Formats: sequence, C-alpha cells, structure tokens
Amino acid sequence: RPASRSRPAMAWRAAPRAAARLLLLPPRRGIVSCIDPSTGLTEEQKEFQKVALDFAAKEMAPHMAEWDGKEIFPVETMRKAAQLGFGGIYVKPDVGGSGLSRLDTSIIFEALSTGCTSTTAYMSIHNMCVWMIDTFGSEDQRHRFCPSLCSMEKFASYCLTEPGSGSDAASLLTSAQRKGDTYILNGSKAFISGGGDTDVYVVMCRTGGPGPKGISCLVLEKGTPGLSFGKKEKKVGWNSQPTRAVIFEDCAVPVGNRLGAEGQGFNIAMKGLNGGRINIASCSLGAAHASVLLAQEHLTVRKQFGEPLANNQYLQFRLAEMATRLVAARLMVRNAARALQEEREDAAVLCSMAKLFATDECFEV
Amino acid sequence: QAIDDDCNQTGQILAAMLDWPQGTFASGLSLEGDRAVVEREVDGGRERIRLRLPALLTCDLRLNQPRYATLPNIMKAKKKPLEILQLGELGELGALGAAPSRLRVLKLEEPPVRTGGQLVEDVPKLVEKLRQSGHV
Repeated sequence: RPASRSRPAMAWRAAPRAAARLLLLPPRRGIVSCIDPSTGLTEEQKEFQKVALDFAAKEMAPHMAEWDGKEIFPVETMRKAAQLGFGGIYVKPDVGGSGLSRLDTSIIFEALSTGCTSTTAYMSIHNMCVWMIDTFGSEDQRHRFCPSLCSMEKFASYCLTEPGSGSDAASLLTSAQRKGDTYILNGSKAFISGGGDTDVYVVMCRTGGPGPKGISCLVLEKGTPGLSFGKKEKKVGWNSQPTRAVIFEDCAVPVGNRLGAEGQGFNIAMKGLNGGRINIASCSLGAAHASVLLAQEHLTVRKQFGEPLANNQYLQFRLAEMATRLVAARLMVRNAARALQEEREDAAVLCSMAKLFATDECFEV
Repeated sequence: QAIDDDCNQTGQILAAMLDWPQGTFASGLSLEGDRAVVEREVDGGRERIRLRLPALLTCDLRLNQPRYATLPNIMKAKKKPLEILQLGELGELGALGAAPSRLRVLKLEEPPVRTGGQLVEDVPKLVEKLRQSGHV
C-alpha cells in the first residue's frame, strides 16, 4: 500500500494511482461486481476498454495531479493516445479515424477518464471537431484537415459560445462578411477549451440574417492574421486544458474552409453537440467509477473506533447509493449512445437527458 | 505468471520434444551471430546463457515493455483468418503430439486417515515424546 495512506494531506496525490491500480485488478473469481463497466459489452468492446483503462492507469493517472497543479496541457500524452486511435474515434478510417460507434466511443472515454477526467474531456472535444469536419466537410476539406487531427499532430477547438450567447447559442453575433472568395470574421468567442494552444478552430459565425438559419461553420487555423486569443482563464480544477477567449478582428478565411452550405452551421454545431453530450457524460462516469473504487478501498482499510469504516451501516448505505447512481447514469449514457448511432428520432433528447443525469449523479458520487 | 494453468511446463516440454536449446524466464535477450545470449532470472539471481539457434525462449516480465494494442489492430484481429489444422496434417510434429504419454500411473491412494493427537502437560514432556517417536 502506498505510504501516503497514513498522511491524509498527501493521500489525494496517490488517489489517481490507487484508483488506476484497483481498476486494473482482474475481477476476483466468484464475485460479480455490480459496477463492473464491462458487463453487457461485446468481446471487441471489452478489448477497447482494456486498452483505454491500461492507458489511463499507466500514462495518465500518475501525472494527473501534476498536470492539474502546474496547468500543463499534456500534448505528448495525448499524441500517444492518438497513436492508439483515440484521436478520431468515430471518424472514418479513410482520413485516419478509427471508425468506431458512439457506444464504443462512450466506453473509451469513460475508461480514459479514470486516469484524468479533464484531459479526456478535452480529447472528446477534439474528437467532436474532427467528426464535424469528417461528416460535413467536402472530400478536399476532409483530407486537408482530418489526418493531422486524427494523429493529433494538430489539435482542435470548438467555438460556439460568446460573451452574449450561451444557452441562446443561435443568437450569436460573430459576423462573417463575404468578400469575393473570403469571409471576413469579426467578433469573439468565450470559454473556448484549448483556445490559444490548439491549431484548428471550428467556428460558428453569422453569414446571413438573425436566428439559426443565418449561421455557417468555418474552419480556420492558428496563425491566420486577425485571429488572437484572450488571457488564459484562471480555473478551479480542469487545469490540464487551457481556456481562452478567441478573438476575430477582420480575420480573413477562405470560402473553401466553410463546412457544408451557408446557413447549415447551426445544424452542424448541434449535431456535433449530441455526441459531445454523450462524451462529456462518459467522462463523468469514469471519474465516478474511480471515486467509488477509492471510497470502497478506503472503507475497508481505514479503522476508527476499533473497526474498519466498512462495518458502519450508514457508510454501507452511502456506498450503495454511490454504486446505484453510477450504474443508473451509465445506463442512461449507453442508451443514448445507442440511440444516436442508430439515428433514432429521440436521440438528441436522450443525449441531453444522459448528459444532465450523468453529470449531476456522478458529481454527487 | 505462466499462462499454461501456472504449470510453467509448456515451453520446457516443447523444447525437449524439438530437441532445441531453451532459455526460460528470459529478462534480457541479444543476438550474437547465430547465437542468442539470454539473461535469465533464476532463484539465485541472474544467469547468462548462450544458445545456438534455433532455440526456444520463454519470457519474463522484465524482458520488455509490451505495446498497447491500437484500436484499428483490435478490429483487424477479429477479421484475421483462423485456420484449424487436424493433428494428422502436421506430419512429424503431429506424431509427437499423438505419442503416448511417457508417464505411467503405478498406484493411486488416499493419504492415511488422521488419528487423534495426544495432550502433554508441559514442554519437557513434549520434547521427551518427540524424542521417543523419533521426530527429533
């Protein structure tokens, strides 16, 4: 057992390592774990999960606390993950993606999150952007942008939110005025994950009239004149990914960088977010799972009043509640993932419910 | 941990059947011409042996760092052809596998039934009894 267990102040640093170690232990024979995340999965999905859990335990968990404390954006580790196929999980293989389903993706992000939730959350945003280009881009755009994004030679950011439009995303103001074969962008985006450190920006901007139908989706790269970034936001937690404002001042973007048709941008943005909701919910699942394992171990090891904490009925009840929340949330998320990959009509609503439920329940855990 | 039900026999038996030199528990490996230099982790520490090739090796944890499987490779694994061979198709090797076991069971018996023990009053009596029965 790590020595830090006897020094509570240091225990939090050992926590991710301890959780990761617990996750890698083979299930004890004869005992079925009710929170085992591999139940109901195909052999292939179990293999994906194993690789992701392995990677999380060995490459992410040992550094998670340092990344958070020193606000490090772990580029090299994410590139290692991309080499295994985690850079474009549900992107088509002809442009470097892994071509997996939404459920496969959820399983993978859930597993990676047990190592570092913040980094995995950024990776899921990156994946979402690559998918948008893959799905709505022309053949030229797909081949221009996707391969280097799937390998994470370049990183991506999703730019929708503005200082004046969050929930009311369709009222966004960043304008893109057509001038010949370029759009001139003016405006700013707020709270962009990866902003300033990433290379490719998928930006929703107004090319037409008010409302969702006037919005288009443009892709631009860092270094484009007129593209600048605000100061790095000071956050409490989630420090392994930088967050900045993204500012456009007479920023010229070729028309050839527009995904889909003019006026299709909002639709593209929302379709991206459906998957994004499942992904972020999956990140919550991973964090909660690791937490339950740590709590369980602590209850069996820590003694007070002459007994292990686990002998206290109240604490047993609390652990049972934690396990129940986790399983319920996982079911919601995987159900939504299936609905999305089957293109069912209720998919978008289910994804929203899954995101709402899983993040809240897992936060409680 | 040996994957043959923890027997740690498969590699060794195969090497004997093939009449090849064997380097088991390999934690280090290098090639020198037609020889393999194998560093082995044994009970007494580490041993270095030089084997003529072809040789049979079994590996230990410290031989290398296993790669992660990539997602595309996991998917390709499912599609790899699985060729099932009959023992008869293997020629010499098949004959080896079909050969009768070199073990003969002579006798099979249960261990003797446990009889009751004796209580003694003190340690000197215990030592005396142990000496008497020849255990000490």
